[in-house]
Amino acid sequence: MEKLGRQIEIGPTDNTSNERTPRNRLHLIPDNARGSFAPYAPQNYGINPAEADMTRIAPGRPRGEGDAIKVTGQIMDEFGRPIRNSLIEIWNANKYGRYTHIEDHSGLQLDPNFLGVGRTLSDNDGNYEFWTIRPGEYLARPDIGRWRPKHIHLSIRGGSSRIITQMYFAGDPHNDTDPMRILMGDNFDKNLGKEYETDGEDFDCGYQFDIVIGGKNPTFFENN
Amino acid sequence: MTQSSGKSNRLIATNEDTLGPYYPISLCDNDSMDLTEIRSGIINKPLGEKIIINGCIKDINGNLANGILLEFWQPNAAGIYRRPDTETHHKLDPWFTGYARHRTKDGNFTLTTIKPGVDVDLETPRAPNITLTIFSDGIMRIVTQLFFEGEKANDTDPLLLSINEELRDRLMIKPDGEDENGIKKYKIEIIMAGDNETPFFDDLLS
Ligand SMILES: [Fe+2]
Repeated sequence: MEKLGRQIEIGPTDNTSNERTPRNRLHLIPDNARGSFAPYAPQNYGINPAEADMTRIAPGRPRGEGDAIKVTGQIMDEFGRPIRNSLIEIWNANKYGRYTHIEDHSGLQLDPNFLGVGRTLSDNDGNYEFWTIRPGEYLARPDIGRWRPKHIHLSIRGGSSRIITQMYFAGDPHNDTDPMRILMGDNFDKNLGKEYETDGEDFDCGYQFDIVIGGKNPTFFENN
Repeated sequence: MTQSSGKSNRLIATNEDTLGPYYPISLCDNDSMDLTEIRSGIINKPLGEKIIINGCIKDINGNLANGILLEFWQPNAAGIYRRPDTETHHKLDPWFTGYARHRTKDGNFTLTTIKPGVDVDLETPRAPNITLTIFSDGIMRIVTQLFFEGEKANDTDPLLLSINEELRDRLMIKPDGEDENGIKKYKIEIIMAGDNETPFFDDLLS
């Protein structure tokens, strides 16, 4: 059988998805052009460690409203090899489900002590940690009554590894009807943070969220 | 978008998601779309011809695709990419990274760069090209590769030869005059979906 590239599905009930999803099947990359499709981002610069504490806008400021949580995990490729020194960018809504993004016109309540934007780097073993406020769910499409469950957006860039993903929370009643979740099918559990207790620390709880970056790009150089 | 791995000893990948509409604009504050200056005020410049590429990304209705995140990746003037397997390559340019990232508010972009070259030592030389990755709301990342119209090396490029002539033309960056300093300008229109759709490539499976 002839091998074909992926046909990307249009996401359910999403206008942007309809407008921006290529209608043609993706084209396969010939082997001798493969290397050029593994963009290798320059080594990440140092980042202010305070950017990993999203519970406050800056050191010494009060914490935002809601539950402070700790998120930890390891970033690796499909073979379990750590992805070191990668840039992790994080963004999430506040307790009320509102982003500080200038284009969030939902009108939901803002929190004067919550920015909702953070960054950190993975260490030599691929481990990362950041702190934030547990986000609220939000009504993403009032016209059709569609909610987004609680989630944290993450973008990871390290060498030729690249993923933009979301961490979800087990038991959120909106998980079952979330279009993103439906696209994930059986593998949804890969995107759930695993809750753990943080006794003696100033958090409501912690979440372990290990990230496996698949596809050919993260393993391109090691396998070559 | 789930992806099953063919070999059982592999871990199951975390699901990719869309960029969503609220990727923080400030995360790109320190990103530059000028690859000819590694940072401002430095006398050293990369080798090669400085060019300016003006481009836009459009949706199925011909409207500009707002709020998308773009990544550009290209070799230097000698056709060499900066990556682990070329660390000691004698044609690596110390003043050129080949990587740029940009969050475009309205769907337009301007990339100032060095015209990518051809690595003639390769068994199958690649035509001058720039890899473009698009992260957007509504869709997982998509990837394409842009070429320069009229380049001789286009005739033998393995990627261009793998698609038909009409599709090839949609990947061509075209000349568009010069700026006031005599720097050559180019233009390209990327269409994400529908009529005249830009060909995109499968960077996960192939
Ligand atoms: Fe979101």
